[in-house]
Amino acid sequence: MSLFTNTTREVIIKLDEFFDSIEIGVLIFKEGIKAYVTGDETAFENHLNKLDDIEGKADKLQRAIENEMIVHSILPQQRSDLIKLLDVLDEIVDTAKGSLNEFFIEIPKVPASLSQDFISLAEVSSNAAEELIPAARSFFREPHLVRDKLIKVYYFERETDKSSFNIKKKIFHDMPELSLAEKAHLRYILHHIESISDRSQDAADMLASMAIRLML
Amino acid sequence: MIVLFLSSGLFLGWSLGTNDASNIFGSAVGTRMVSFTRAAIIASIFVIIGSVLQGSGASDTLGKLGSVNAVGGSFTVAFAAGLTVYLMTKAALPVSSTQAIVGAIIGWNLFTDNAIDYSSLTKILVSWVVSPALGAIFAFILYHFIKLWRRNTRTHLIIYEERIRLGLILACAFGAYSLGANNIANVMGVFVPSMNLQAASFRLFTLTGAQQLFLLGGIAIAAGILTYSKKVISTLGNNLLELSPEAALVVVIAQAMVLFIFSSSSLAGLAGRIGITIPLVPVSSTQVVVGAIVGIGLYKGVRNINLSLLGNIASGWITTPVFAGIIAFFLLFFMKNLFGVDVGHAINPVKYKESLDSGLIIKNSIIVLLFLAAVYLVYLGMKEKNKTKKLTGGGSLR
Repeated sequence: MSLFTNTTREVIIKLDEFFDSIEIGVLIFKEGIKAYVTGDETAFENHLNKLDDIEGKADKLQRAIENEMIVHSILPQQRSDLIKLLDVLDEIVDTAKGSLNEFFIEIPKVPASLSQDFISLAEVSSNAAEELIPAARSFFREPHLVRDKLIKVYYFERETDKSSFNIKKKIFHDMPELSLAEKAHLRYILHHIESISDRSQDAADMLASMAIRLML
Repeated sequence: MIVLFLSSGLFLGWSLGTNDASNIFGSAVGTRMVSFTRAAIIASIFVIIGSVLQGSGASDTLGKLGSVNAVGGSFTVAFAAGLTVYLMTKAALPVSSTQAIVGAIIGWNLFTDNAIDYSSLTKILVSWVVSPALGAIFAFILYHFIKLWRRNTRTHLIIYEERIRLGLILACAFGAYSLGANNIANVMGVFVPSMNLQAASFRLFTLTGAQQLFLLGGIAIAAGILTYSKKVISTLGNNLLELSPEAALVVVIAQAMVLFIFSSSSLAGLAGRIGITIPLVPVSSTQVVVGAIVGIGLYKGVRNINLSLLGNIASGWITTPVFAGIIAFFLLFFMKNLFGVDVGHAINPVKYKESLDSGLIIKNSIIVLLFLAAVYLVYLGMKEKNKTKKLTGGGSLR
C-alpha cells in the first residue's frame, strides 16, 4: 500500500514523463519524415537516433509505472485497464520508430510530386496522437472532459484515412512512370505512417470507456 | 459456571464479528483498497473500544425491555438469539442478531410473566424502520458531496484514490467503533442485569461491571473479525453489490453515523436539549448498509430499486423476533423444567386482574402472530426449495 509514502507522487511524475515521451516522440517522427522527404539525411538520422532514445525511455517508464502500481497497490480498480492503455500508448512511439526505421533501411523513393502529400499525411496522422495525450492526461484530473478531447483524435484519424486513400489513388492511377514494385513499396510505407493514427484511435476507444466507467 | 453461561453471549459476539465485519470493511477489502489484515486489526481494536466506552446506552434500553435477572435466563436468551441467527441463515432467510435478541427477550418476558415495556419496544421498533431510511439519506447526501468535491478539485486520480483509501481506513475505525457501541447490547446486554460484577480498578482507569462484560463481548466480536470474517467476505463477495471505492466509503460512513446516533448518550443528550428524542437502541448494521446502498442508487438515478431487497428487510422485522421469541420460550421451558436452571422471575408481573382484557388481547395476538410467522416461514422455505429445484433442473442431475 502506498499510503503515507512518496510512491504516489513518483508514479504521477513518471506518468507525466511517459506522456511527455509520447508527445515528443510523435513530434520527432513528424520532423523525421519531413527531413527524409526533403532529402536532409543528417537531420533524418538525428531524428531517428532521438526517437530511438525516446522510445527506450518510454519503455522504461512504462515498466516502472506498471511495477509500482502493482507493488504498491495503486488504483487497484483501474490498474489492469491503465496498464493496457500504457501499452497501447507505448505502441504509438514504437510504431513511429518502426516507421522511421523502414525509411532508413529500405530507402523508399518518394517522387518529388508526392513530397508534400507525405509530409501532410505524417502531420495529420501525428495530430491524432498529439490530441490523444491531453485527453489521457485529463483522464486523471477531469475525466468528464475526456470525451470532448477525444473528438479531435477521431477527426484526425478519419482525415488520415482520407489523405492516405488519395495518395494511394494518385500512386496507382496517375503515376505510370513508377514500377509496380515501387508503387507497392510506397503503399507499404504509407501504411506505416497511417498506423500512428490507427494506434491513437485504439487508445482513444479505450480511454473513452475508462472515463465513462470512472464517472459512473 | 459463569464462563459456561457467558459462552452463548460470546458465541453471539463471535458470529456478529464474522458476519458484520463485511459491512465495515468488506467493500474496502473487496476493492483491494485496504488489505484484510490491516482492516481486521483496526476494526478489532475499535470494536472493543466502542463496546467498552459507549456500549451502555443501547444496552440500558434492552434492559428496560426485559431485565433478565438470572444468569441461566441470560444464557438461554442469548443462546436462543444465536440459534435463531444460525437457523435462519441456514434457511437463507433475512436475519439480524439485533432483532433476534429483542425477540428472545420478549420470549423471556412472556415465559416469566414479566410485563413488556411497550414504550421501549416501540422505540426499538421505530428505530428499526428509521435506521435504514436514515442510512439512505446520509448516503445520498455524502455521495453528492464526494462527487461534487471530485469534480471541483481537479485532484489527480492517484491522489484522490489515496485519500479515499485513507478515508476507508478511518471509516473502518469509525464503523467498528459504532458497531461495538451499538451492537454490544445484543451480545452482552442480557447479561448485564443478571451478573452483578464488581467494578475493577486499574491504575489508569476503572471498569464498571457492565464495562467488563462489554470488554469480553468486544473481544468476542474482535475474535470473530480476526478468525472467520475473511472467509465470509470472500464468500459473500463485495457486499450486496459491486461498489466503487468512493461508494464503499460513503456506505461505511453512513452506516457508522447511524449506529453512532443510536448509541451515543452524549449526542442523545444534546439532541434532547433541542427537543429531539434519540432512542439508544441496537439496530441492524446490515439493514443500514442496505439502506445506504439504496441511497446511492437513488442518487445515481436508478429507477428500478430492487423491491425484494426492501421486502427482505421488512420481513426480517417480523419473522426474526417472532422466531427468536418462540425458540427462547421453549428453551427457557426446558432449561427450567428439565435441567432445573433458574431462568429468572417476574419483577414487574403482568397485572391480569387489572387489565385482563388487554392481557388476553395481547396473548391472543401473540399466538396469532406466532401462527402467521410460522406459516410465513414455511412459505419462505418452500419458495427457497422451489428456487433451488429450478436452478438445479428439478433437483437431479441425472
